[in-house]
Amino acid sequence: MNRADFPFLGFGVGLRRPHYSHVIETRPAVDWFEVVSENFMVDGGRPLQVLEAVRERYPIVLHGVSMSLGSADPLDRDYLSRLRDLARRFEPAWISDHLCWTGVGGRNLHDLLPLPYTEETVDWVASRIRQVQEILERPILIENVSSYMAFAASTMTEWDFLSAVASESDCGILLDINNIFVSSFNHHFDPQRYIEAIPVQRVVQYHLAGHSDHGAYLLDTHDHPVPPAVWSLYEQAVRRFGRVSALVEWDDNIPDFPVLEAAAGQARASYEANYDSSARNDSAEPVTCSRV
Amino acid sequence: MQPRLRELQALLARLITARDGVEQGLAFEQDLPDGSLDTLIIGDQQLSAVDRVGIYANAYFYRLLDAIKEDFPVTLATIGDAEFHNLITAYLVEYPPHRPSINDASQNLAAFVRGSELAARWPFLHDLVRVERAIVEVFLGADAKPLGFEELRPIAPDQWPLIRMRSHPSLQVLECEWRIDTMMRAFQTGDTPARPSHERTSILVWRNNCDVDCRALDEAERAAFTVLREGAEFATVCAAITAHTGDVGTPAMINQMLSRWLSDALLVRV
Repeated sequence: MNRADFPFLGFGVGLRRPHYSHVIETRPAVDWFEVVSENFMVDGGRPLQVLEAVRERYPIVLHGVSMSLGSADPLDRDYLSRLRDLARRFEPAWISDHLCWTGVGGRNLHDLLPLPYTEETVDWVASRIRQVQEILERPILIENVSSYMAFAASTMTEWDFLSAVASESDCGILLDINNIFVSSFNHHFDPQRYIEAIPVQRVVQYHLAGHSDHGAYLLDTHDHPVPPAVWSLYEQAVRRFGRVSALVEWDDNIPDFPVLEAAAGQARASYEANYDSSARNDSAEPVTCSRV
Repeated sequence: MQPRLRELQALLARLITARDGVEQGLAFEQDLPDGSLDTLIIGDQQLSAVDRVGIYANAYFYRLLDAIKEDFPVTLATIGDAEFHNLITAYLVEYPPHRPSINDASQNLAAFVRGSELAARWPFLHDLVRVERAIVEVFLGADAKPLGFEELRPIAPDQWPLIRMRSHPSLQVLECEWRIDTMMRAFQTGDTPARPSHERTSILVWRNNCDVDCRALDEAERAAFTVLREGAEFATVCAAITAHTGDVGTPAMINQMLSRWLSDALLVRV
């Protein structure tokens, strides 16, 4: 995996159902959209029509929630075939999913559950990612999840685990800045240390989102604006990782689209204020992912 | 000794989906190392190991409840929040999700409702859930180019009996014991859905462009869609209709039906 093989898309927004019409009719000034893969792995109907219309005008990325890369179950080959077909049809800039498990024993929990951070788990997950990349015919990105439990069996930190899995499977990293912040609160670690430990050349995309404060823990709810502490961590990430595409997620209590557009604009402004282009060779101009 | 990944995940899945919560679920776990979750999950003064797994248990249930609520608004309006909550709690124990898409989580809800105690209070509930589930399936059903007026217009009259057509692949016809279509219509217009009449009805659920709608079919139309499901020549469709209506007034009636079917994008050319 070579980071240079992934285009710099600029500053995007997660495409959600309440905004379908607005996006198609008004063509808002965001650089790109990320869509939840499973919402479009359907036989037909409105989702695919919407995606066709959006893809004609914007680069897109397919972001999944059900690949279950860390599950002890066999990989779901039917799911992967359908995802590959979707990717062939819509030509996303890349495909991503989470470093987690979502079910076992054939049961799907529809949640992103953490793994024990051990060498054995690294080997298991990395071998599965390599198979996935072969089936999907491309390198994928794996995302760090927010977590609320940690395992006594873990022998390494989350950032070492993420780095090791990415390295052993030769995949990219989708670094969710909010998830780092949420997990750092829930597990009492320094989020800056996390950012500093992730290998620069693996990071292809950021997620930015809000969360809910439940007192004893933070919950990754994606139902609030990106809070100042997450913006601050993002600034640190921009200084360390350089030219990386960023995306704002909002999944509950979804506001009008201009609010998300403004958040993507804030990500751009923060990037421009913190990115030291003289220290790197990469261009700051987002590319246009045209279809063949 | 720590369990292997499969055992660990299976244990967590059981606890997260336990009907009465993580603590009660733990009571059924005989093989837990040292009999405590603390040997597996790191707890602290703010959140115990049980609390932490409990966060996932809550998220599991409420994520599915919210998704199903969104797809069954008339069922929700009919039985109310509390009963709906209890229904989905019991349903998820019996039919936990197995598929990657959360849209599929409610695919067995109608079968579950048929055997639930709610059926005694709302005997039409099974049909209502079937229709609302069909709306989800039709919304995401397979695409096909609908047959349009402009495609039929150039065909010579003597060739019409031979035109092969079938119903759109996303379309569904449900045989119901209750007039659920009246409930759906009331909900669409902002009225409170009243208890439907107990009357055998065929309900057509279809998608026109991106909008899903439903309506009752009379016997002649139902017969037409029975032959259209597999694909048929127009003459066969007409014969199915006239078998129910007799010959009197049939050409005008068929003309009216066909016109409506084409407007509603119900047909595709074979």
